[in-house]
Amino acid sequence: MGKGKPFLEVLASAIHEDYRFPFLEVFAFLYAAGTFLFASFGLDITATGTTSQAMATANETIAYGVVSSLLSMPLFIFIILIFKNIAYGLGSDLEKGIIQTYFSYPLKRWGILTAKFLSALGVALLLFLGLQISGLYILAPDIILPQLGTVFLTYAASLSYPLLIAGIMFLLTLKLRRGGITLVVGIVLYFAMSMVSGIFTESPLPLQIIAAISPSLVLQQYYAGSLGDFWAPAFSEVLLYTGVSYVIVALVFALGYIYFSRRLNL
Amino acid sequence: MSLIVAENLAKSYGRVVAVESLSLTLDEGSVTGLIGPNGAGKTTTIKMILGLLKPDKGVVKVFGQNPWDNTAIRSMIGVVYEKAFFPAHQKTLEYLQRVCRIFGVSESRAMEVLELVNLQEASDRQIKALSAGMLQKFAIAHALVHSPKLIVADEMTANLDPQARSELLDVVLQLNRDEKAAFLLSSHILPELSRVCDSVAIINRGKVWAFGKLSELYEKYAVGIIRVSTDSPYELEAEIKKLNYVKEVNSDIRGISVTVVEGKEDELYEDVPKLAKKIKAKILGIETGSASMQELYRLAITAKERK
Repeated sequence: MGKGKPFLEVLASAIHEDYRFPFLEVFAFLYAAGTFLFASFGLDITATGTTSQAMATANETIAYGVVSSLLSMPLFIFIILIFKNIAYGLGSDLEKGIIQTYFSYPLKRWGILTAKFLSALGVALLLFLGLQISGLYILAPDIILPQLGTVFLTYAASLSYPLLIAGIMFLLTLKLRRGGITLVVGIVLYFAMSMVSGIFTESPLPLQIIAAISPSLVLQQYYAGSLGDFWAPAFSEVLLYTGVSYVIVALVFALGYIYFSRRLNL
Repeated sequence: MSLIVAENLAKSYGRVVAVESLSLTLDEGSVTGLIGPNGAGKTTTIKMILGLLKPDKGVVKVFGQNPWDNTAIRSMIGVVYEKAFFPAHQKTLEYLQRVCRIFGVSESRAMEVLELVNLQEASDRQIKALSAGMLQKFAIAHALVHSPKLIVADEMTANLDPQARSELLDVVLQLNRDEKAAFLLSSHILPELSRVCDSVAIINRGKVWAFGKLSELYEKYAVGIIRVSTDSPYELEAEIKKLNYVKEVNSDIRGISVTVVEGKEDELYEDVPKLAKKIKAKILGIETGSASMQELYRLAITAKERK
């Protein structure tokens, strides 16, 4: 018996539960609607900063603006989907004992968890990025294709914080085994960040600390300087903050994996 | 060969001690019952055996290996949990076919096991649409898909009606006889265990209080017991208690179990009809050494407590 088969079957089972009709269809529609309806090709980025925008080329700034406008609503839908999947896909499976049933199959714990994550996050991410990239390619190929680096960086920076919250929700789920509570905590954390990042406009330090977990702020500051003129990050800083944020995300998930594989008592 | 060897297992949940220095073995081809009151530590013991819980102390080996995250062992064990949960929105047959693919067995086995538990008519039904009893049957079918050498079942018949219980116990006996499958069955329904088990571990307060072949346990704990069947057990019990050679009397709805001083059995046989006549009770039968499993359980616990 190959090792791949049990993994694929558990993954298929998880996808079947996470995206049963009409979830996938509704979210795909919302993504598509969000992508195309909220597309804006006018440069609505008003530079309040002084130096950052000068560092970025005009084409990069335009590409950032286009991606940001396409991202806004679908990113919010993506966040709802992954939070729901973590809370009700993984949380409820732990709460109800379905994970216990999976533990009777010849598949390592990390394999079961990976299958659950691929379903909860992987499929949602593929759907989100697939529709976004298709939208970008259809609507603005001449802006996007020469600036793939900027496009990639914008997505990477924008997805980091939702993934971090998903990771924290994952840890909470393992501890509490209650999907509903986890979902509430995830939503509160997400909106708390939106509010907190708007408060610190006097000094760069709090913003820099927040940017380490939410690098879209530093990207926004780099291209648009819209948070104020007290901080003008360089491109290397944008990369650094994005990298650091993913290291934090990876650490949170690694912690969860280690706990799930070695310590989780059911 | 021992399929399960547990030595000095201990597990606590915070300050609550669930299992304390528990040892037991389960041999190939045997049907062993794990009996004990609620909170005795049965489920915790089973979870440690299945590698779902890490013991705080002690060692557990299943097929000679540590069960924690051990995929080789999982291929050889079928598990039935007390509360069965499966992905709710999948159909029973389709899900079992998936399980067949997981274990690398022919998909036709899915229908075979559904038929085995008499659930073939629900093959097209979503799992969430099954009744509690049907879900339990489905859990048993699920555990049998890969023809495991060992089946571990925690309160397997808890949600079933008497007929379904009886049918399932027949399945246990059949699998044990034909496929040499070993069973570890936890239950608080003692009569059904006595029907299928050849060995019993009596668990109380997280420890094994008595363990061995049923015949040995009866010999050890139930010798000298006389069972009186009557239509007025509680009234007759009060009279029997007055006899000075009687050591212990316990009654239930169907009769009375009496333990007497050694050598006084014949006297009891003479006295009981007289007492029954006095209170106008009807004697339906008197038998020596015919303690029920319930009685055996109580005697084993009492004997241990006295020590």
